Amino acid sequence: MSVTLSSPLLTEPDAPLGRRRIGWPAWGWSLIGVLAVWALIVIVRPGAPFDPLAQAMTLAPFLVLVALGQMLVITLGPGNIDVSVGTIISMASYVSVAVGASVGPVAGILAAVGVGIAAAVCSIVAILLLRVPPIIATLATSLIVSSATLLLADASRHSADAGLREFVNAKILGIPVIALLVLAITVVIALALRHTRFGLSVLAVGQSARAAERAGIKVWAITALAYLVCGAFAGLTGGLLAAFISPSTVLGTSYMLDSIAVVVIGGTLISGGRAVATGAWTGALFFVLLSGLLNLVGWSIGAQNILKGVLVVAVVIVSAAATGTGRSSRARLRESLHLGTRNKETTHG
Amino acid sequence: MTTTLSATMRPAMASRLRVSASHGFPALLSLVALVVILGITVANQPGILSVSGLTLMLMSAVPLVFAAQAQMLIMSVGDIDLGIGALIGLVTVIAATLLAESPILGVGMLVAIVLVYALLGLIVQKRGVPSIIITLGMSFVWIGLGLQILPTPGGTTPEWLTALGRWRPEAIPAPLVFIVAATVIGWYLSRQSRIGTRMRALGSSAPTLQKAGWSLAGTRVVTYVLAATLIIVSGLLLASQTRSGDINSASNFTLMTIAAVILGGGNFSGGRALPVGATLGAVTLGLITVLLSVMSLSSSLQSAAQGIIVLAVLAGRIITERFTR
Repeated sequence: MSVTLSSPLLTEPDAPLGRRRIGWPAWGWSLIGVLAVWALIVIVRPGAPFDPLAQAMTLAPFLVLVALGQMLVITLGPGNIDVSVGTIISMASYVSVAVGASVGPVAGILAAVGVGIAAAVCSIVAILLLRVPPIIATLATSLIVSSATLLLADASRHSADAGLREFVNAKILGIPVIALLVLAITVVIALALRHTRFGLSVLAVGQSARAAERAGIKVWAITALAYLVCGAFAGLTGGLLAAFISPSTVLGTSYMLDSIAVVVIGGTLISGGRAVATGAWTGALFFVLLSGLLNLVGWSIGAQNILKGVLVVAVVIVSAAATGTGRSSRARLRESLHLGTRNKETTHG
Repeated sequence: MTTTLSATMRPAMASRLRVSASHGFPALLSLVALVVILGITVANQPGILSVSGLTLMLMSAVPLVFAAQAQMLIMSVGDIDLGIGALIGLVTVIAATLLAESPILGVGMLVAIVLVYALLGLIVQKRGVPSIIITLGMSFVWIGLGLQILPTPGGTTPEWLTALGRWRPEAIPAPLVFIVAATVIGWYLSRQSRIGTRMRALGSSAPTLQKAGWSLAGTRVVTYVLAATLIIVSGLLLASQTRSGDINSASNFTLMTIAAVILGGGNFSGGRALPVGATLGAVTLGLITVLLSVMSLSSSLQSAAQGIIVLAVLAGRIITERFTR
């Protein structure tokens, strides 16, 4: 049952580098989940067994993109989470369509990424300068962003560019172009986590921010960069979704919890310090296939929500027990939640 | 005799005063914001300074104040509840459907919610999982349940609940009575009762509480149960005002309650519970809606205004904490 670490960088003290077992990958459980749900779909609706997978491949990339950003943020350690991704997606969808109509589709996508980054800057200023805990900072950002979305929605009467629409729906050898694009981004992120200064620093900060700081890592810069990437990915997703579906004020709503769930299900530690990029794919495919299955069986949106929530809670409880990170992560979470300078005296009410 | 007594008491008194001043400062800040909002509102609409005017203005703050007291209890042990908004929505749905049609089933559901919260408290304590993620996950369970029971807003609340919402004493605005009641309940639970002391001890120094012979799990479970009860009261009061159920009716309560506690001088790391501050914070945030409509600004700006005020007060707090030390 024990989950061994897939990356050689993150070996536990009792498992030295040389004697590392070729263990169970962190995304293994979610892959089993994908296969199980796929099997169930084939049982419920026999014939054309690859149809549900192909269908999932058109929807999953968007979720993967958001989850990759969320993964970087969550990996920064306890307390780090970006709950503004959902509203950023909705806002970016309007921005990309509006800019796309007047300047061009590429500029539209760039503008979508730009507003994602702008929203992330707002969160980063609150986190780093005002020392607001990330969850509150990103919640506040999401409130501001949702107001902006409502204002944009009132003004917007455009629809997505035809060329962009074609690109988003295009397929090469039956595989959507978007899926290939996101796959490439996933590979880049996975390699960055293993081999680049930024990626390794994110992991180091997640394992111990204080130790990382002593080691000379600029924790604030790494934190800022992770949130920026997350905001940019959410913006890009919004821009692409605007062409794939259409802009709407609730376009991104479900992506907030879904992205967190996908990250957790994919094997990334909610306590930070271990990122599993492959898990974003298995987690997202599992989620998309699962809602396909539930739709097929005729479950209502309400019942699907209940299952999703229970699933997230169950996975968090099980993974906290399996990795034994729960207790220490809570202590670190509480430490990270101290406002401003630490002063023991003021904590006694 | 008296001189020696006062001499020994003076340092204690002084540090007490200093600590309460530094704790109370943020609440003072939100009191100032409250007075400013009130001033602008009265300047634009002088009629608001009557019993009926104040009733109208403060009505929306009543459920928020109860929810803020619940969030304050959870935050005093060092946790955060991100499912509060969804759960209040679910309570309004239960109030508008099951509670009217089959009261026993409705009450059973509400009791089940309290039991689930007890279980959440136990899981957070025993498994050490972050309360943020667990309550965020649970919020989807609440929304799912609400959509299952009542897919679209509607239903009717039972007669007794509607009567509660319609209650209008002539001498004082009814919402003020509820707000004071919520504050007194929160004050008793967190500052006056023994469990309140244990809660704050769990938040500030869990090992000390354990060494004193108290059960950590027991304390956290009781905290969650008390909070769930206050959340249910908040949901019932919201339903009594809207007279219908809507799962999304309180979705902005999650941030608003956290912000109210912080505005009132609470902190994220636990160990502190300031009921009067939480109430002041909640009323301030609740009045932003009124302020926007008085200043005839678009309601689209409402959430942005809340977000900016939360950030502004947190920033102000960091600055004042620098100066008071």
